[in-house]
Amino acid sequence: MENKVLKEQVEKLAAQVNGEVEEIIGELVLKVKASYVIETLKGAKSFPNIPCDFLHDLCGVDGVDHLEAVYQLTSLRGPQRLRVKAIIDRENPVIDSVTSIWQGANFLEREAYDMFGINFKGHPNLKRIYMWDDFEGYPLRKDYVTEPIEVRNIVRTRIEGE
Amino acid sequence: MDVALEKKLRDDETLLEKNILVTNIDKLLNWARGHSFWPVTLGLACCAIEMMATGGPRYDISRFGYEVFRASPRQADVMIVAGTCTRKMAPLLRRIYDQMPEPKWVIAMGSCACAGGPFVDSYSMLAGADKIVPVDVYIPGCPPRPESLLYGLLQLQFKVSNPAKVRLMKHGK
Amino acid sequence: MTIEKTEELLLNMGPQHPSMHGLFRMVVNLEGETVTKIDPKMGYLHRGIEKLAESRTYSQFIPYTDRLDYLASPHNNWAYVQTVEKLMGLEIPERAEYLRVIFGELARIASHQVCIASTALDMAGWSAWSYAFRDRERICDMYEMTAGSRLTVNNMRIGGMSNEPPAEFWPALKSFLDDTPEMLEEYNGIFFGNEIAQGRLKSVGILSKELAENLSITGPCLRASGVNYDVRKAEPYSIYDRFDFNVPVRYGCDSYDRTIIRMDEIVESVKIIKQAVRDIPEGPIMAKVPKVIKPPVGEVYHRVENPKGELGFYIVSDGTTKPARLRIRAGTFINLQMLPIVSLGWKIQDVVAIFATLDAVLGEVDK
Repeated sequence: MENKVLKEQVEKLAAQVNGEVEEIIGELVLKVKASYVIETLKGAKSFPNIPCDFLHDLCGVDGVDHLEAVYQLTSLRGPQRLRVKAIIDRENPVIDSVTSIWQGANFLEREAYDMFGINFKGHPNLKRIYMWDDFEGYPLRKDYVTEPIEVRNIVRTRIEGE
Repeated sequence: MDVALEKKLRDDETLLEKNILVTNIDKLLNWARGHSFWPVTLGLACCAIEMMATGGPRYDISRFGYEVFRASPRQADVMIVAGTCTRKMAPLLRRIYDQMPEPKWVIAMGSCACAGGPFVDSYSMLAGADKIVPVDVYIPGCPPRPESLLYGLLQLQFKVSNPAKVRLMKHGK
Repeated sequence: MTIEKTEELLLNMGPQHPSMHGLFRMVVNLEGETVTKIDPKMGYLHRGIEKLAESRTYSQFIPYTDRLDYLASPHNNWAYVQTVEKLMGLEIPERAEYLRVIFGELARIASHQVCIASTALDMAGWSAWSYAFRDRERICDMYEMTAGSRLTVNNMRIGGMSNEPPAEFWPALKSFLDDTPEMLEEYNGIFFGNEIAQGRLKSVGILSKELAENLSITGPCLRASGVNYDVRKAEPYSIYDRFDFNVPVRYGCDSYDRTIIRMDEIVESVKIIKQAVRDIPEGPIMAKVPKVIKPPVGEVYHRVENPKGELGFYIVSDGTTKPARLRIRAGTFINLQMLPIVSLGWKIQDVVAIFATLDAVLGEVDK
């Protein structure tokens, strides 16, 4: 019942942002282009009666020919859930930052930048969060080749101030 | 017999009567070092919880005199590398080791510190703490039980108190 | 005339620091003793578990989940195996569900005990630490009886449980549950009733309801800010809809409430375990699962209420024996975002206390 109301809302939103709606294992998935992400998330946040206003998770996914940023939205006021997928160009991975909507996206976007090299435009402090600053490559991309153990065993030099 | 030597022997005898032992200074120092390590708290990952449990009321590490966990490496003489040492942490681990005063020993606790453990083929791991610092005792397990840590510390105690013997054992004699 | 002013001091705490619960580092700007800015830095324990998952089969990955939040390992196993079961559409036997609840709630108690212990320890309260660790050993014993290990339990499998608890498990569990009121009384007396502890925790580090929601805070930290939200109630997974329990909520929004809410949660966990022990049916503990686990193509997201926050797994399957992408939504990693915001303007020693009440486990933060 709840799902039906949500589905209507999501389809209405999808029409506005040129997205497609799918249902995968009981969960609504809305796929949009990267340029529409802010509009989509703002729309989802202000659904009447059933707002998806809690950014539960944000992660990157490597889809081989493209990258995706996946937003899991829930709410503290109801059971509604929505997954928004933003398709990002692999050659030029740029997407708008959602830190202006949710402050909580800060670390999550830094993590996606660290692991996939997705550039979040408008992020206040887009730096590597897990790997050290002069680490090369984006480890969670499918084409990342892990260095052999002999290379990894060489101790890196300490960055001043650490 | 030489008068001076005879006098010295007599002196030794009187000392013995007063319950005084004669040993060489190295032996005495090794004995003292081996029986009261001051470990530096270097809890890296899961093994740190087992290290805390060893210090806790049930396993009570102070029975052996090793309970003085120091936060500062300057005051410690044994480093228990308890957990996964990643590539990001490696130079800092070395730095902590360098800050410790001589003589110093290292215990690698857990399979990650011994050889990389289950994470060894990950991009952010190196194969064990012995690539960074010289390790004296390896304690396998994921994580090792508190008893294993105590056993490892006692092995280190044996090593420290009997340097000659350990050297022989190492060469298989 | 020159005005005398305190010079701003840049203080580096960690990664090897006694109050940092592992390898967390923060660069603190201080004016005198007052914090003006905090820059948290992590990743000193980043082991790349998400990448490793892509080269492991679905069953091989279960032990890795133990090493995420190592203080509550059954919960991580549980979240992961449930995600895979949801993806495959598996039904698991009743008895296994009950056993999972029992182990999960035991882990919650153990984790909260460590939180109370380490909060006390960070404020130099050694005795409270040793009391909580003494009681935690009894839970470790129960793990050991069943699974053989004290910390990384790993007794859940895709489709059920690995083994039945032995006969001596049940009396040990009963005596532990009977003793909990007395334990809590002791913690109250030695730590929460302590004037110094109250003075250092009460009305320190205020996290308002709106800020908590905006920062995606979950778990006890959210509930201590007056939000009544618990996945076990809001979206009951497993068999949580069968138990009668309350969600403890506190309205103080401060460090004290973030710590003492864990005491209330222990009481509720004991209630749940008692009901589970009463109702547990006989029967098999493992469903019929194919030898090679090959979920269909698809993607699934599932979350559970970990003791420290919500733990979520997002799995994208491409129909092979290994996941194409496995994402871990670590609760404490996201909860840590509040640290630089709520500790502004407090003294440096308060920051240590605020950090302790977050109950961050760096295994989960860094993955």
